[in-house]
Amino acid sequence: MMAPFFKYDLFGDEFSLIVAVLIGFGFGFFLERAGFGSARKLTAQFYLIDLAVFKVMFTAIVTAMLGVFYLSWMGFLDLSLVYLSTTYLVPQLLGGALLGFGFVVGGYCPGTSVVGMATGRVDALVYGAGLMAGIFVFGEAYPFIEGFMYSTDMGTITLPQLFGVPYGLVMLVIVLIALLGFWAAPSIERYFRNKLTEEV
Amino acid sequence: MSKSRPPWKWNWIFAAVAVVLAAVSVGGDPYRGHVVTLNTKELGMIVDAKVDHVTAEELADRLIQGRTDQRILDLREPTSYAEYHIPSAENVVLGDLVDYPLYRNEQIILYSDGGIHSAQAWFLLRAQGFPGVYMLLGGLDAWKDEVLFPSLPAGADPELIAEFDRLVQVSQFFGGSPRQGSGEDFTATPVQMPTVEPPSQVPVARKKKKHKEGC
Repeated sequence: MMAPFFKYDLFGDEFSLIVAVLIGFGFGFFLERAGFGSARKLTAQFYLIDLAVFKVMFTAIVTAMLGVFYLSWMGFLDLSLVYLSTTYLVPQLLGGALLGFGFVVGGYCPGTSVVGMATGRVDALVYGAGLMAGIFVFGEAYPFIEGFMYSTDMGTITLPQLFGVPYGLVMLVIVLIALLGFWAAPSIERYFRNKLTEEV
Repeated sequence: MSKSRPPWKWNWIFAAVAVVLAAVSVGGDPYRGHVVTLNTKELGMIVDAKVDHVTAEELADRLIQGRTDQRILDLREPTSYAEYHIPSAENVVLGDLVDYPLYRNEQIILYSDGGIHSAQAWFLLRAQGFPGVYMLLGGLDAWKDEVLFPSLPAGADPELIAEFDRLVQVSQFFGGSPRQGSGEDFTATPVQMPTVEPPSQVPVARKKKKHKEGC
């Protein structure tokens, strides 16, 4: 059996929706259990006093990266059928900065705001309302920003292609960066917590 | 707070596993390139069920309706393509086909002069896992006979004449010219291919299709 199952027609649209719901519940559950339903926990990341977001996300990235690589290496997954979003460098840099700004101000990213809403947090509900308003504004403004949105098109490029190095080498570097981060995280957290208490 | 964390020993073991797995794979590539696995029975059944092609008339109908949810690929040489091609068709030679930017959720219609190249291309794309690939039945030859230059044999019955009137409109839409008279004359008279791109709502050089996938 080869993955992706949907693209190999092993199940259709309806079943894929059921699968999506199950994965969505699982994702939300683990985000909540990691404490990511709380804006306090999430914004602590930006003050470098609690690097849980970094640790959870990088653990997920390393696990998924190694998993995807070995599954396709062993022939269980056809990676060329897995969707890669196109890189539009400048618009995506700007979008990333906007999202980061919203993250610090609002205390959530879009996914975690839904987790916060599910547990009945009022700030998450307000954030969700802002999210919907933003989608509406984006939709209305689309004709004016469409040209910019699709500018600096780099195609579906990956890091190994960009740097011209083997896929495995990029993985090793990312794993080492993650481990270095995990190793340094407690000291960073301690340093900035102390600094904060000194200031207060 | 530190009670819920796994003991440090486990963190070191997980870290070591990640480093080992990444180190083993250095130099590896998860993309399998152009090597594919084929389900020959499935392909055979698709051909048997005759769902691997569209007729020239069906394609003409699609274009007249202004539908843009298909990619039409012209597999002939660039010089033939420059002389004439079906509106909105893109020119790709067989050798370049596997690396041509196509998406697996697109309907791809292939044509060449006859049917050989499009049949080969159909097989290549199906083998690569493209589900919506169709050949233009009879190729560009059929497009000329049925769409551009439809013919009405002498002594046709009224039903055929009524049908021919419709074909005339289709033909004119694509810049062709219908023919009337006895069938034998047609082959002798060289037909004038439409030189200019016929007016069409279909944009000829399409930009890359925007995806609805992703997060």
